[in-house]
Amino acid sequence: MIELDGVTKYFDGLPAVSDFSWTIRTGDFCVLIGPSGCGKSTVLRMINAMILADAGTIKIHGKMIAEMPPEKLRRGIGYVIQSVGLFPHWTIAENILAVPRLLKWNAANCAARLDEITALLQIDRALLARFPRQLSGGQQQRVGVARALAADPDIILMDEPFAALDPVSRANLQTELSRIHAHSGKTIIFVTHDMDEALKLATRMAVMNKGKLVETGTPAEILNAPENDFTRGFLGGDALEMRLLDVVPVGARFTRTKTEASKTIGIDASLKEALNLMLAHRCISLGVRDANGRPIGEIHIENIIKGA
Amino acid sequence: MPKVFDRVLLTLCCLAALGVISGGFLNRAPNRLASSLPLALWQAPKLEVLIAMISFAVLIALSFMRRERLRSHATLAAATVMLWASLAGAGGLATRLANTDPPQARYSLGLAFWSLIALAFFAMLDAFQRAKFTLVTRAGFCAALCAGFVLMATSGLFDNLSLAREFASHRDILLSELLRHLLLVGVAMGLALLVSMPLAAVVLRFSFPRSFVFSGLGIVQTIPSIALFGLLIAPLSALAARFAILRDLGINGTGIAPAIIALMLYSLLPLVRGFYIGFTEVPVEVKDAAFGIGFDAKSTFLKVELPLALPALLSGLRVVTIQAIGLAAVAALIGAGGLGTFVFQGIGQYALDLVLVGAIPIILLALAADLTFQILLGLARREL
Repeated sequence: MIELDGVTKYFDGLPAVSDFSWTIRTGDFCVLIGPSGCGKSTVLRMINAMILADAGTIKIHGKMIAEMPPEKLRRGIGYVIQSVGLFPHWTIAENILAVPRLLKWNAANCAARLDEITALLQIDRALLARFPRQLSGGQQQRVGVARALAADPDIILMDEPFAALDPVSRANLQTELSRIHAHSGKTIIFVTHDMDEALKLATRMAVMNKGKLVETGTPAEILNAPENDFTRGFLGGDALEMRLLDVVPVGARFTRTKTEASKTIGIDASLKEALNLMLAHRCISLGVRDANGRPIGEIHIENIIKGA
Repeated sequence: MPKVFDRVLLTLCCLAALGVISGGFLNRAPNRLASSLPLALWQAPKLEVLIAMISFAVLIALSFMRRERLRSHATLAAATVMLWASLAGAGGLATRLANTDPPQARYSLGLAFWSLIALAFFAMLDAFQRAKFTLVTRAGFCAALCAGFVLMATSGLFDNLSLAREFASHRDILLSELLRHLLLVGVAMGLALLVSMPLAAVVLRFSFPRSFVFSGLGIVQTIPSIALFGLLIAPLSALAARFAILRDLGINGTGIAPAIIALMLYSLLPLVRGFYIGFTEVPVEVKDAAFGIGFDAKSTFLKVELPLALPALLSGLRVVTIQAIGLAAVAALIGAGGLGTFVFQGIGQYALDLVLVGAIPIILLALAADLTFQILLGLARREL
């Protein structure tokens, strides 16, 4: 659990973050979103003490971070940045093992961890002996994520990690990150200004503006009932309903019934995917399958538009 | 008209041909002081001349060759053969003439000889660049070249050339002056590193003195070397007169102390600039990442910043070392010794061969330093 309480930071006398209080539960995928310059990166960098708060407290698992040695704190927290920042004079393997080596793991543990991490992130072992400049941007950030995960930290901070990537690499890495989060139960704090990315990844969201926390909640909560005009505007204003389709699963809207429909969709798919399938097959209803693939009901276009 | 693919090589060949036609291969003088008469290349032993001329023709033909890799390899081979044949030809001609001439006769190397040597040398350098050899191959080739030369020299082939006689008659002091030269350069470089480090630290940390330091060091660079050596005489002799301990250390207005100080002063600007560029060009995001994943200040410096700055540092050090090897020759004028001693003695006696006794080792030292720093740079960049 990470608790931020009344955290405030001034740059040149101007408040960059003011009175920021937020509690992050262990295992959450928290996305901190807001326009550029709103202070979200500053919040992130205060969590691992790269920036020291001028007021307020930050606790990780109940311990004040201000009282921990900062290097030790940072070695226990994964950190990924947009510009990747791989060490250009180290091979990929050396880059991945940067933190384990700082922590003085022995060679056998390092080698074993390298095997695990390359398998987890599907990094081609042939790349391990190469240097960062020989890799594409997407491959580099994959290594950047591997470096953050290498020492098996339970908290990972990510500062717009996929913003500079091409759409295909970005989508791939988003999917992998979701998968890793789901099966590892790590706490991830992810900063972005991209609403689609936030909705795809987040289990919890925090919206920030001008150094202040505007609103927190699950993506669906925030989309369904944005508390104020800033959030509404930032969520896309008129396009808000379309975004909602992205976060609401078929399971929330379908009707349990016997179905004869020839086209079916999984219960976990989003309404957007359902609508897309309907458009593709020019039909107005789909069969719904449960996790085991058994047909359990139907979803009709009216369910999508008016609710179940 | 066939297409020219290697303009550099063809230009070198044309210049060398001009030299071969217009000057003597050997210059023969009845004694060390009398003026000499040129002997043409054709008077040298037939076989050596034939081989040299064939390789010359091959080099000309090679400049019309399209395939760059093959061309550079063939150029290296032909240039090597030409170099060895020219050396053997000059040595052979001198030996043949010495059999009949009186013993005080002198044979110095002429324009035609130096043209062929220069052609071989520059063609090799250019071919090296084009062939993109690894440093190991380069070092091996240089070693083979030297081995061939040493083999000819030890067989006594060059004994009758006046240049070889000058080398032989100065053999004893040549080694001590060479060591003296290395000492001058080595101590000056060591001191320059020691002085440039705190200067670089100041320049990197504070922007206010930066332009002051750089322009101050820039002014030093504009002072001609002889003038700087001269300018140091007055303050150093004043200091030595004032403090007995300096006199006991052998510090004086002339000699080794002002030479080392001057060489060090010339080295400061490139070194401080190398430090400055090296450390400012370490990417910000790399430092940020190192900070964020838990490197402390010391390991960030030792494991990230220093290795990334090292290539720029070594480039700076390479420039100043080669520069200092050349400049140290001038230091002989203020009594610091070194290989420059032969150069200035030779100029004074109008003995060109004696000048070469100093100049050739200086050139070889500079080339060796260059090769060494290239190897170090390759290691620092982790590519060999």
